[in-house]
Amino acid sequence: MPKKVLADVVVIGGGPAGMAAALGARESGAKIVFLLERGDELGGILNQCIHAGFGVQRFGEELTGPEYAGIYKDRLASSSIEVMTSTLVCEVNRDGYVKAVNRSGIWEISARSVVMAMGCRERTRDMIRIPGTRPSGVFTAGLVQYMVNVDGLLPGKEAVILGSGDIGLIVARRLELEGVRVNAVVEIRDSLSGLVRNYVQCLLDFNIPMLFSHTVTGIRGEDRVEAVKISKVDNSWRPIKGASQWMECDCLLLSVGLIPENELTQRLGIPICPESGGPYIDEKGTTEIPHIFACGNVSSVFDLVDYVSIISERTGSAAALKNPPAPVSFILECGGGVGLVVPQRIRERGEGDIFVRPATALRDGNIRFQRGERIIYEKPISICRPSEMIRIPSRGIEWPHETGKVKIEIDGEPVQGI
Amino acid sequence: MKKRYDLIIIGGGVTGCALAWYFSHYDFEIALLEKEMDVCCGVSKANTGIFHSRSYWTPDTLKGELHLRSLSWFPRAKKELDLPVRECGALTVALSAADIGHLREVKARGRCPEAEIMGPIEARKREPNLNKNLKAAYYDPGTVVVSPFQLVCSLAECAALNGVEFHFDQHVRGFDQTSKYIRVLTPENNWEAAFVITAAGLFSSEIARYSRDKISDIRPCRGEYFVLDRDCDGFVNRVLYPAPRERSKGILVCPTPEGNVLAGPNFEPLDRFDSSTTYFGLEEVEKGAHRLTPHIPLHKNIRNFSGLRPTLPDRDFHIFFSNTYPNLLHLVGIESPGLTAAFGIAEYVGEKLHNKGLTLREKNDFRFRKAFPVFREADWKTREALIREDPDWGEIICRCEEVTVAEVKHALRTPPGASTLDGLKRRIRTTAGRCQGSFCLMSIPRLMSEIGNVPYGNMYKEGRKSPLFAGETREECSRSEYAEKGSC
Ligand SMILES: Cc1cc2nc3c(=O)[nH]c(=O)nc-3n(C[C@H](O)[C@H](O)[C@H](O)COP(=O)(O)OP(=O)(O)OC[C@H]3O[C@@H](n4cnc5c(N)ncnc54)[C@H](O)[C@@H]3O)c2cc1C
Ligand SMILES: Cc1cc2nc3c(=O)[nH]c(=O)nc-3n(C[C@H](O)[C@H](O)[C@H](O)COP(=O)(O)OP(=O)(O)OC[C@H]3O[C@@H](n4cnc5c(N)ncnc54)[C@H](O)[C@@H]3O)c2cc1C
Repeated sequence: MPKKVLADVVVIGGGPAGMAAALGARESGAKIVFLLERGDELGGILNQCIHAGFGVQRFGEELTGPEYAGIYKDRLASSSIEVMTSTLVCEVNRDGYVKAVNRSGIWEISARSVVMAMGCRERTRDMIRIPGTRPSGVFTAGLVQYMVNVDGLLPGKEAVILGSGDIGLIVARRLELEGVRVNAVVEIRDSLSGLVRNYVQCLLDFNIPMLFSHTVTGIRGEDRVEAVKISKVDNSWRPIKGASQWMECDCLLLSVGLIPENELTQRLGIPICPESGGPYIDEKGTTEIPHIFACGNVSSVFDLVDYVSIISERTGSAAALKNPPAPVSFILECGGGVGLVVPQRIRERGEGDIFVRPATALRDGNIRFQRGERIIYEKPISICRPSEMIRIPSRGIEWPHETGKVKIEIDGEPVQGI
Repeated sequence: MKKRYDLIIIGGGVTGCALAWYFSHYDFEIALLEKEMDVCCGVSKANTGIFHSRSYWTPDTLKGELHLRSLSWFPRAKKELDLPVRECGALTVALSAADIGHLREVKARGRCPEAEIMGPIEARKREPNLNKNLKAAYYDPGTVVVSPFQLVCSLAECAALNGVEFHFDQHVRGFDQTSKYIRVLTPENNWEAAFVITAAGLFSSEIARYSRDKISDIRPCRGEYFVLDRDCDGFVNRVLYPAPRERSKGILVCPTPEGNVLAGPNFEPLDRFDSSTTYFGLEEVEKGAHRLTPHIPLHKNIRNFSGLRPTLPDRDFHIFFSNTYPNLLHLVGIESPGLTAAFGIAEYVGEKLHNKGLTLREKNDFRFRKAFPVFREADWKTREALIREDPDWGEIICRCEEVTVAEVKHALRTPPGASTLDGLKRRIRTTAGRCQGSFCLMSIPRLMSEIGNVPYGNMYKEGRKSPLFAGETREECSRSEYAEKGSC
């Protein structure tokens, strides 16, 4: 027989979001809290991020990923939260019924609230349709980070990295430190995707060439990667005829974006926001189904784990409460210059934060929230980039009495290069 | 290791494995030699996987004759191999009035009693995503889709179960004759057998030349594909063929037995063996797929691939005894529908060898293959029972395809077992899902090292030249295998 249990809150995914949500729920009075993690350890992505760069916002000091995760693991260990690792959640239904599998059998947990915290996965070669042969040596950058940092294995001797996001930059440095030559980082945009700090510390300091407005348009090598074709692109990212060359390497690493893992969410019929890739949520992480919540990278890809922890604790608390949510007051919409916004729904004015990701790199501009004709928030920005979310505390916005749609816009001068 | 056999088969594609399975019913000592590390590494790994019905046979050809013969074997093979198939049927779609004539031809050729030509309304009732502008469709319930990997691996497993030896890394480079036997030469071994059959796919003309037999060159004809995420299952429920063109069956859209949707292949003659995918080819497939199903969600692509058809100038199979070694039989130009025709080919080859003096004595202890359960497809009650029996069933290592440790162990251990990443993928679908291995890739080598004792330096994607890793980090290096090789 399946093991049937009742719970107040079930949290799916034991990364930083899930850990914080479980603790938040417990602290807000939920008695029985389950935290289910597929891997054999809690921590999610943090376990593979051995570089420092976590915790400045949340704890006021620079920690490595495992150190940051360690703080939450300790807190969980001394709480009464039921943690189950090596446990994969296979099904969730609209009534808060969760089905999970592990070595001891099948678990059926009936919960009052469910928190989705499954994180994200990496975009693959096939999603961006790089043609060519299909040899060994084509990897996603996050996988390589795991391979090197957790398993101590190297992906090749000479690499080309596609995508200048932070993961790609950090992996580039890690490989150089291990004696793997990085021949180039190739970026299709005309500006850097990751942080300037990472560009300086990871590429400049190691003499790794950076190619803007270029992409990979071919792979050669029957068995193992032998070379990749690098092409210059025009303004609409189309390869320019004749402007390409083969670059030798034995591995190609792709750092071309992350996708929130919402298969479970979608099967519940919860609508997914096309910009964020996650379910539409409010400031507490409530989805369109009032007792189903989402937080962390499953709701939108965050660049700072600190933000994930802060939001997720709040989501956990909300999941612990029994009262139904207030009606939606505002719907936030992406206007010009905005890549995405989370949350997309506001129920209670002045609670929590709003995160806005710029669509492109801009300088000397403004970010603006508008309700109809009325500007309810405006702030100058000296520089913004898609790699850094802009965090706006909700209490800093003059929420009007009248409810409805709010449009967010960013304008400014385009930034090229670094 | 014994090196003298009644029969040696060269090539572990669908043709070689079907031959191995067929002859394993009889009282023989058989070995199959394959240059790669596993079966199903050649043409057989990259095709559409359709068991074409009678409607698509080509009259007046050997491939047509063997296609028809094969169809009558299908029920028996399915039972002996415990092969999962999707008996989905097919619609051949006429998008112009001129195409309707083609449908009538197909119908007349197939002479399938249950097949019919229907109007657009009826066709769209069956397949709502079909192009609105279709003029008519020919419905044929007899078409079946299989996983080519499952087909080849189950043939190989059943053959192995009945005594066929599989030897990998055996690149045949030539032949020789002793007084009674044909000698098959590989770089490290000499093998001997009374009868030898070659089924070398793209290399079938080349291998025929090793015995100084004259045959035209194989001309590879490339076909490219899209594989869509399993959450597109149901977008089409039948094989959708366009009205036939001259050279191939055209760019089609079809479901797979696992629930993906496949679009392809185009038809591009090449002058070298190049299985790269190309912008041009994928665009052609995209156009073809859009003509049949304008709303096909190609943005849900999880994998592109291409396959090479091993074609001869007359576009037929050539099966002949060598002029140099009388008991050496060559199978050349086994192009489409080679997968469908595999059983017919085996039976035909059996007859040819029989006529040459090989006595076919049926074994009375032939064993059927029993498929291993698939966690993803099992209902919850079965899953519960499986985990109770063995906790490895409760440990899912590939989350996209829900593959468990129990399945990995079985695939590594069941002869001829998987020994590479792709070998596992073809048997149990690890890394075949939407993340393409970006999550589970590292747990597989860990299991291979734990269970199979394979050192990390000897792990390959597919062949010996495709190592997964290039060494270990400095920290790991000090105490490990790579240090010995001096690669740090
Ligand atoms: C490669 C990489 C490098 C990064 N570097 C930095 C950095 O330097 N600094 C910084 O501040 N931030 C960094 N980030 C961002 C930060 O790590 C993420 O924002 C954070 O990890 C998101 O937390 P999460 O819990 O939402 O997701 P994750 O950490 O991905 O955790 C999700 C967890 O859910 C589990 N799970 C998923 N599905 C199921 C299921 N069905 N059943 C059970 N469990 C499931 C997964 O196994 C995983 O453990 C990085 C992110 C990545 C991907
Ligand atoms: C794009 C495409 C779509 C197709 N679609 C269909 C379809 O839907 N239905 C259908 O019925 N058919 C289809 N076919 C045809 C079918 O795939 C082939 O006819 C069939 O797979 C050929 O199998 P094979 O075993 O003869 O060749 P292969 O699978 O290539 O096997 C030959 C084996 O011999 C080995 N070998 C070669 N040389 C040596 C040597 N010297 N020593 C040792 N080993 C050697 C190779 O490594 C290989 O494993 C399609 C083909 C293509 C390319």
